[in-house]
Amino acid sequence: MRLQSAKWRWPSPSGLPPARLVGGLLALLLVLWLTAPLVELNLPRLASSSGRFLRFASQLAEMPDWGYLPQLLSKLIETMEMTVLGTFIAIVFSLPLGILAASNTSPHPWACRLTRDLLSLMRAMPELVWALIFVSAVGLGPLAGTMALAWVTVGFLGKIFAEAIEVVSPRALEGVRAHGAGRIQTLQFAVLPQALPDLVGTVAYILDHNLRSATILGLVGAGGIGYDLVMSMRMFQYGRLVMIMAAIYLIVTALDRGSDRLRGQVIYGQ
Amino acid sequence: MSTITVRAAAKRFSDGCLALDGVDLMIQDGSFTVILGPSGSGKSTLLRLMNGLETPSSGQIFVGQRPVIPKNLVKIRCEVAMVFQRFNLVDRLSVMTNVLTGRLGRRSWTGTMFHLFRAEDMAIAAKALDRVSLTERAWCRVDKLSGGQQQRVGIARALAQQPKAILADEPVASLDPVTGEEIMVLLREICDQDGITVVVNLHQVELARRFADRVIGLNSGRIVFDGSPAQMTPQALETIYQRGGDDAAAKREMALALA
Amino acid sequence: MGSEPVAALQRPAPALPPKPRAHAWAWAAAVAAFLLAITWHLGINFSALASGLGDIAEYIHRYSTPNFTDWSRYLALMGVTLATALWGTVIAAGLAFVLAPLAARNFSPHPAVYRGAREALNFMRAMPDLVLALMFVAAIGLGPFPGALALGVHSAGFLGKFLAECMERVDKGTCEGVASTGAGFAQRLAFVAWPSILREGFGYLLFILDRNVRMASVLGMVGAGGIGLELYNSLRIFNYDQSAAMILVILATLLMIDHAASWLRRRLE
Repeated sequence: MRLQSAKWRWPSPSGLPPARLVGGLLALLLVLWLTAPLVELNLPRLASSSGRFLRFASQLAEMPDWGYLPQLLSKLIETMEMTVLGTFIAIVFSLPLGILAASNTSPHPWACRLTRDLLSLMRAMPELVWALIFVSAVGLGPLAGTMALAWVTVGFLGKIFAEAIEVVSPRALEGVRAHGAGRIQTLQFAVLPQALPDLVGTVAYILDHNLRSATILGLVGAGGIGYDLVMSMRMFQYGRLVMIMAAIYLIVTALDRGSDRLRGQVIYGQ
Repeated sequence: MSTITVRAAAKRFSDGCLALDGVDLMIQDGSFTVILGPSGSGKSTLLRLMNGLETPSSGQIFVGQRPVIPKNLVKIRCEVAMVFQRFNLVDRLSVMTNVLTGRLGRRSWTGTMFHLFRAEDMAIAAKALDRVSLTERAWCRVDKLSGGQQQRVGIARALAQQPKAILADEPVASLDPVTGEEIMVLLREICDQDGITVVVNLHQVELARRFADRVIGLNSGRIVFDGSPAQMTPQALETIYQRGGDDAAAKREMALALA
Repeated sequence: MGSEPVAALQRPAPALPPKPRAHAWAWAAAVAAFLLAITWHLGINFSALASGLGDIAEYIHRYSTPNFTDWSRYLALMGVTLATALWGTVIAAGLAFVLAPLAARNFSPHPAVYRGAREALNFMRAMPDLVLALMFVAAIGLGPFPGALALGVHSAGFLGKFLAECMERVDKGTCEGVASTGAGFAQRLAFVAWPSILREGFGYLLFILDRNVRMASVLGMVGAGGIGLELYNSLRIFNYDQSAAMILVILATLLMIDHAASWLRRRLE
């Protein structure tokens, strides 16, 4: 089919848009249409629910429950502490694991493959699922949440670190080894100084991500503000709910801006 | 009449730099004008004022009877096309699509948003491509072309606009001398055969001598020379290229320009 | 008592500039103290954990006999999870398509629009998707679609920001080239913005899809459909066999999606 003589055409030899683009779009539309019942897409119900949504939003505009403030603050601090502790524990553990998972510093190719697969498994599932597992292992409370955050972060950071090590310049490694440096010294003076600077930006991103996750881990009893959040919604305590939502918005936004600025500084030089 | 009129134009940038300091100029319809000057003399700024890519701090620009103000920009840019030093093409798109972007000013967003064009636009673009001898490359991605070829695509894009004037901001600065000359020949041809006003920024004096009807010398944001190439005596050139007391820099500029 | 060169060797070495104070150790000590304080405040007892390490083997053993008798139901639930993630990503793409150009400084029609779009994207990002899912379930009712909406709105915040930053990196000359032909806002988007960021943008889209599949698997815990609720109930009553089976199904699906996404990404290269 050629559109050469049609009034409107695309800029291509046949006058038609690129086949891959059209094919992809059609395939997507087909899949969406097929999965609509799975998702229980119900447009009339959606339209009528906008009224309910507005009512819900107006209920949020109730007076905040100021008496809740002390508990809110303590739970917020707990959330932030879980984030920080979990992230730092993860940094400590991901350094040796990253070294093991990098093909140029791993003592044995098997160790490398095994570690890579382990890291992949660790980050495969969302933090909330791991939190659920850890709660059944160590009980309710912030320990389970901290462990879940650390676990997934190690999976992510370990991989990033391994990749950073693998792109380290081999000439630097040779230079240090040629002077008789042992394995650990090579790591300390040739590998780490090159691989580390990138990590500051990554850590900022991870802190941001972990804070967001930490706010909901309480849903399964793993500490933080998540529990109060869900409970206040279930028990229609809108005075508390609006305070919790505002608090979450504030701390997440603050860290988001902070990490943007930190990343900007690190990339463009302190 | 598409005379370009510049009246007492001045431009000070936000970093305090005074790029243009009171320029009065009238470009005649259908003429081939070359603007010469050392780097930093304000050539680029002057050209960009003419199609609204920069706004003057004071003074006015007119294209024909229309003042160059935000309200008129689309109409003015339909009439005044621009060719750039670094070509300014969209790398990922094909040559043909890039040339077709020249037609966008005259079409609404409804069809063009999906990269749909009318048959007449395709014909105009094909003719423009033929004019710059690039028809067989119509469907190549532009970043796969050589510098000279990319600049010709830029000129084809300008031609596709069916403009009354073409402004060329250092069109040959990124090209080797042979290719650069081909581009200048092409521009001159377009001016002679199509009657399109051409204004070119250059820093090569030889090219100015060979191709211009009129040469305007700019220095530190002011016009210091305005005449035919024949009137470009060595003293005139020194006035154009002088650098406020710094003779060594001036001599260097002139050496580069005369190379 | 020697020739000049030897005397030169015997002269004392010139004084080195004063060594910069080793701040690194002070910083490390402060950080360690800070972390210990946090640990104490959270009431976490790491020594108890360490002594309980022996129990870890026993704990892991509880998951060693996964019970797949309900496998068809798990697969169906996983299917709902995947569909939720897909719809959520498509909704996010739609929202980002509209907001990202407005949130890019070089394409946005007006600085106020730019600020507004950026703030909107920030707001969409700030609320965790689970919270949004809770709200949408409260408004629309139980089922996977509120979950898809929540995923869509939340990940649109990320996708929109990534795409806007891509657009801001487009070469200024290219933008001016098309602008100089008289092209309007929508035309500049169609010919400069989107073609220039298509490759990178698609990579971000795959990243968001991957992330949404993960999040969709837990949305069920708030009533938004999928396998999350099953897993939550099963672990709460310590039914390790069924939980193990479900975890394996989730893991297998997520790893498959990961591989599919990498394959797609490589095919685009």
